[in-house]
Amino acid sequence: MNLYMGKMLVVDLSAKTVTTEPLRADWAREYWGAWGLALRYYTDAVSPEVDPLAPENVVVLMTAPLCGTLVPLASRMCLVSKSPHTGTIFESNVGGSFGPELKYAGYDGIIIKGRAEAPVFLKIDDDLVTIECAEHMTGQGIFETEKLMEAAMGAHGAKTLAIGPAAENMISYSMIGSESYRQFGRGGTGALFGSKNLKGVVCRGTGGVAVADMAKFLERTDHYTRNDLLCDDNLWAKTDGTPILVEVTNEMGIHPTRNYTKGFNGRKETLNSDAIQAAKLGNRACASCPMACGKFTRVNSAEIEGPEYETLCLGGSNCEIHDLEAVIRFNRLCDDLGLDTMTCGSTISLAMEMTENGVHNFNLRFGQVDEYLKVVYEIATLSTERGRDLAKGAKHLADKYGATDLSMEVKGLEMPAYEPRGNFGMGIAYATSERGACHLRAFPIFATDPHDIDALVTEVVNAQNANSIKWSLGFCDFWGTINTSIEADLMSTGLGEPVSAEELDQAGERIWNLSRLFNLATGFTAADDTLPKKIMERPLEAGPHEGRVFSRADLSRALQSYYELRDWSARGIPSSRKLATLGLDKTTL
Amino acid sequence: MKKELFANPDLCTGCNRCTIACSAKKEGVFQPSKARLRVTNFPLRGYSVPNICFQCPKANCLEACPTTAMFRDGSGVVRVNRDLCSGCGSCVSACPYGMVEQDAKGIPYKCDLCEGDPVCVKECHAEALVHATGDAALFQLKAAQMKTRPQSGTPLEKRHKIAETLKRSSRG
Repeated sequence: MNLYMGKMLVVDLSAKTVTTEPLRADWAREYWGAWGLALRYYTDAVSPEVDPLAPENVVVLMTAPLCGTLVPLASRMCLVSKSPHTGTIFESNVGGSFGPELKYAGYDGIIIKGRAEAPVFLKIDDDLVTIECAEHMTGQGIFETEKLMEAAMGAHGAKTLAIGPAAENMISYSMIGSESYRQFGRGGTGALFGSKNLKGVVCRGTGGVAVADMAKFLERTDHYTRNDLLCDDNLWAKTDGTPILVEVTNEMGIHPTRNYTKGFNGRKETLNSDAIQAAKLGNRACASCPMACGKFTRVNSAEIEGPEYETLCLGGSNCEIHDLEAVIRFNRLCDDLGLDTMTCGSTISLAMEMTENGVHNFNLRFGQVDEYLKVVYEIATLSTERGRDLAKGAKHLADKYGATDLSMEVKGLEMPAYEPRGNFGMGIAYATSERGACHLRAFPIFATDPHDIDALVTEVVNAQNANSIKWSLGFCDFWGTINTSIEADLMSTGLGEPVSAEELDQAGERIWNLSRLFNLATGFTAADDTLPKKIMERPLEAGPHEGRVFSRADLSRALQSYYELRDWSARGIPSSRKLATLGLDKTTL
Repeated sequence: MKKELFANPDLCTGCNRCTIACSAKKEGVFQPSKARLRVTNFPLRGYSVPNICFQCPKANCLEACPTTAMFRDGSGVVRVNRDLCSGCGSCVSACPYGMVEQDAKGIPYKCDLCEGDPVCVKECHAEALVHATGDAALFQLKAAQMKTRPQSGTPLEKRHKIAETLKRSSRG
């Protein structure tokens, strides 16, 4: 088979069985890979009301067709399940080398069901797949767990997915780490593994990924790499990586500062790209990526691959921490203990604001490094009262102490580091994302007019559709200039059969609508397509958009236009006409 | 002066484009486990080492070969004549760098520098791999990499041991 391995691994941890089944070719042709295909498998396997942490829930891990080939920036793999943090359908993806390794071992993806009686890890050594005892790894951080699993493989260089104590404690924003510093970061992917008593997966694959015509495939790959990828629009990833956004968002006035009070950080120089470059030891890349956007840094004895932009802002500026070493330490603790740095940073900044406003004293204050670092461990291990409080995320923390006006989340997912009052497009993207506040569905920060609602709605819809297929083909966000024509050409050449840009466009829209149907079936309504109170009511301080709010009236107008453009009803429900066009009219959701 | 292949671990990003491209050229599929060079990754320390064949002037693999299957061609590249190979595997254990391995039939395969135009170098955007006549700095790098010569272990274990040594000298 070309590009695909043609085989899924099915692991039932309750029954202690590992089986394989042929890849559903009919689904692959409609959903392609990674996000879309995992979503298709997932919605077939569970009922929408499933409790995310119950044994009945299923986790689908899926690679993408171009993953493992020389096509650059195409090796991301997705996890799809229902999120314990948001209760929505949830897609999270990771780079690195695990995806390619899984394909070299002979599998397109893994379906994980049930719950093991005691901690286990999954060992995949080509076609020898076993469920192994992980009791000796219990309580270990991700770094040590990966080392132990690699040793259990008996071979250097095996690729790993692992959880830390935060996920064993089923903290709703715990994550799954891979190769130390890469993550299925958001939405509590780690808790899903934790709830299944699954400490990790180690994989070694010695096989290969085939294509229809190698010479032609290499020629097309080289053509797009040189003439599209390695061009001015994308090279920031090679030179600077995501820290470049510190200057960009500050200049735009959309850089969250002091728990989203201000849109500008006057001390940005301590955490900007120049600061990262000064601390840099080398560049790091995911499999097959010529950009190497990962910057490996060291300050004093603290080293890490990163910090990335979201952490520099949500763990830095938004907590008024202006010390790169502190942010590196925060980042490393999260990466090892297994917490999403974005939700963790945002929840801490909320607790800081609540403390300073006199709502509740968490002994956490803006700019105070010691307690900020201490509380990360307390959250992951649930070892103190404030740790247990913060471990539930911003929404629950604010609800518990009556501070809902300070909690910065949508559908329970804490906002990324782009201020919606300074760019309404980001607000529309957050309000309409299927997984809550997310910048990876649409990213209209470069819009000509950041407050032109009609233009931004169109941009958001187009980006959501385009990204749905882009993530399903395993592409990285940072090939910013890719489009479905390029994707279709690479897929056609690899498969040896024609794939059109139009069918990929339609697949993107199909994936977006299927996600919506799942959320509606779980009980989400149009009322959940909203923004935090602070964004709608409290004027932004500092920067070029000082004084702005994204009012309820503006949001309501944006949503009306959004639903119309999607051919959804005023209540946000896809029309039967739209569903029929997308081949979703027979779905049981 | 003839061109040689040089590797600079301090510049390697661990992307493996070299091994993916090498396997595509040599095996016709994307299969890094069959590549003629390998990358040893230490993600936690942010370090990666490209393990390459040095086409050693005094080549242990060639000396260990009981037939004349292993030979040096006119350009200095150590190559395998499959027709003359008995499949004994002496070359595999003789190479201290873990850069000779056997295929399913027991016939060894190794780097032949792609007839003077190595595909790995073309895919290395980090310039961690260069094919050049070499200068003092490059020869110094090469000498440092050739210094650790594990005599026992599988090719994978030998490559890892060398890479560990290089990591220690760079990352501490």
